[in-house]
Amino acid sequence: MKKRGLISVAAAAALAAASLVAYAPASNAAAKTITLAFQGPLTGEEAQVGQDELAGMLYAVKLFNAKNKGKYVVKVVRADDQGDPAQAAKVAPGIASNKKVIGLVGAAYSGATIASLPFYKQRNLAMVSPSATRVSITDPAAGAIGFPVFHRVVVTDKVQGPSLFKLATKGVSSPKVFVVDDQSAYGVGLVDYMKPGIPAGQSAGFDSVSDKTTDWSATIAKVKTAGANVVIYTGYFPQAAVFFKQLRDSGYTGVLAGGDGVLSPSFVTLAPASVLEGVRLTAGTVPLADISDKLEADFQKKMGKASGVYAAESIDAANIFLSCVSKGVSTRAAMLKCVKKFKGKSLTGANLSFDKNGDVAGGVMNGFEVKAGKIVFTGPVK
Amino acid sequence: MFGNFLDQFWSLTFGGLSLGFIYILIALGYTMVYGVLRMINFANSEVFMVGTFATIIIIRDVFKFTQTSEYATGPRLWLILGTALIASMLVSGILSVVIELVAYRRLRRMNSGILAPLISAIGVSMVLAETMRILTDSRPVASPRAMEKSFIGKFFDADIRLDNTIIIVAAIILLAILMAFVNKTRLGKAIRAVSMNGNAAKLMGINIDGVVSITFLVGGLMTGAAGFFYVLKYENSSFSIGFELGIAAFTAAILGGIGNIKGAFYGGLVLGLLETYASFFLGTQWKAVTVFVILVLVLYTRPNGLFGEAMTQSRA
Repeated sequence: MKKRGLISVAAAAALAAASLVAYAPASNAAAKTITLAFQGPLTGEEAQVGQDELAGMLYAVKLFNAKNKGKYVVKVVRADDQGDPAQAAKVAPGIASNKKVIGLVGAAYSGATIASLPFYKQRNLAMVSPSATRVSITDPAAGAIGFPVFHRVVVTDKVQGPSLFKLATKGVSSPKVFVVDDQSAYGVGLVDYMKPGIPAGQSAGFDSVSDKTTDWSATIAKVKTAGANVVIYTGYFPQAAVFFKQLRDSGYTGVLAGGDGVLSPSFVTLAPASVLEGVRLTAGTVPLADISDKLEADFQKKMGKASGVYAAESIDAANIFLSCVSKGVSTRAAMLKCVKKFKGKSLTGANLSFDKNGDVAGGVMNGFEVKAGKIVFTGPVK
Repeated sequence: MFGNFLDQFWSLTFGGLSLGFIYILIALGYTMVYGVLRMINFANSEVFMVGTFATIIIIRDVFKFTQTSEYATGPRLWLILGTALIASMLVSGILSVVIELVAYRRLRRMNSGILAPLISAIGVSMVLAETMRILTDSRPVASPRAMEKSFIGKFFDADIRLDNTIIIVAAIILLAILMAFVNKTRLGKAIRAVSMNGNAAKLMGINIDGVVSITFLVGGLMTGAAGFFYVLKYENSSFSIGFELGIAAFTAAILGGIGNIKGAFYGGLVLGLLETYASFFLGTQWKAVTVFVILVLVLYTRPNGLFGEAMTQSRA
């Protein structure tokens, strides 16, 4: 009885499976699967930035897959480096040895990029970063450690350093500027590029504070005794929020400014709006909504959320790879060659191509300001 | 440099004092349990961390403050602060008792020695920290500001801030209540008896299990209060601050003499002040180094800590 029952169940299942196959849609065996990767902080303190950039890349891929239905299917593999070089060194080997991946958008952070480069250089994987701004990666004088695989669509800290200083001291008569870095490769680098351009008599001092600090009273005491009226922090937004908060609470009323490490939607959730009012930031990115409202609306429709920082740059980076895919590229060597020769336009309409070191040709630094708890684009820093 | 220090002396001192009181309250968690059980309750640092999150949840989710909300004032402010303080104290206190029941009681019953409860404590500490890490996605959590950090006066050219003052005053009140409890009530007497001689206390009819639970409860209440004050001062928390502050508070307890409430008091104050002064002179990078060098020097000359008597008393 049982055996008969089993046989009839098996027969029914086989029939069902057969009928399913018969009704299956015409197979798209012609569509080629291409795999790209994204590397950035997807968890941890900096997760917001990574998630925003990933969303930009996924949006570009979605549009491409829709346009090339039947021809190509692009998949995205994610690598979470938490914005931390140590973590990056752990995830990069996996991506590098994954033969299917032929291009990488990333890494989002400079420190993580530098830690991942040995693995990607060894396996010849092309990288296009939307946001890693450390100069040494492409600077021949500093070793050009990124050559030949690394490229970036964003302007470097060499430009950002002086721009940040300019934006921070704009409108301030007789500025006395105190600069604090976070002892990270990015933060220290940004200060190094700022220093030569500081006019005599405007510097009120420098400090270097670990990014694990929670109590800033020592630095604040130094700022007060120096009588500074402009304070620039060149680290990342979690520490910037705490530092600015404690600085304002101890009675500081001058200008506060930061670089692109501070520019993040999460920044304004970490301190009261009244404390952050007027904070000036620089970044080599333009908000999607400021490029085109239609684009932002389409992004929100397709991705289910608003675009974040470096969305436009991530879309540009992804589109570089995608344009190569549509030219028939399917190997790492061919992708690297194609990326190096790339000539196209960015979302903002500017020309997009790389110089021999992997830097984007041209590019401008943009200014932002925190107004009523929101980060507002204030135009290029002139 | 020294001139600058004198300028900033009182501001630095107030900051150091409020930090010191936070350390004292956490150190009490360690010291009271050690006094009664001769065991280091490593999980106390995570009890502190949970207390900070309890405060953040009250301010952010129950009272619905955000970074753009208006600050509360007057009776509403006291209501909010009071609720947050009591909530974190209760959450930490209950958590502390539960930890004792789950992780230590059985080992104590079995007379398992010194090592097993220690490892159990470290295990609990990791479970709590990692669970919180998963819940917070490894990110720090910010607390919206409910109370404006206004300046309420000047003291010798240093601005006195409201939050530092509240911490110092409230901590002193809590400590006074604790001292009254330990010295003047029957239960307090029982705790002191158990810490002096556990067997004799049992012979006198004292319920050891009950006393141990009460000790963990009181230690947890104090640690929870520290959590509230920490969030009031720094307005953020993360899954790892238990480790960072726990080490400091534990050091404070050792510095003052472990097992001894008076030791926790002075150890915490000294540590808070020294850390703040050291980071002014040497930079924040040297804070931990300075603290531990001082600890070693003190233990070198007074192995039981500043006020450590031969580990048999838990009285002031």
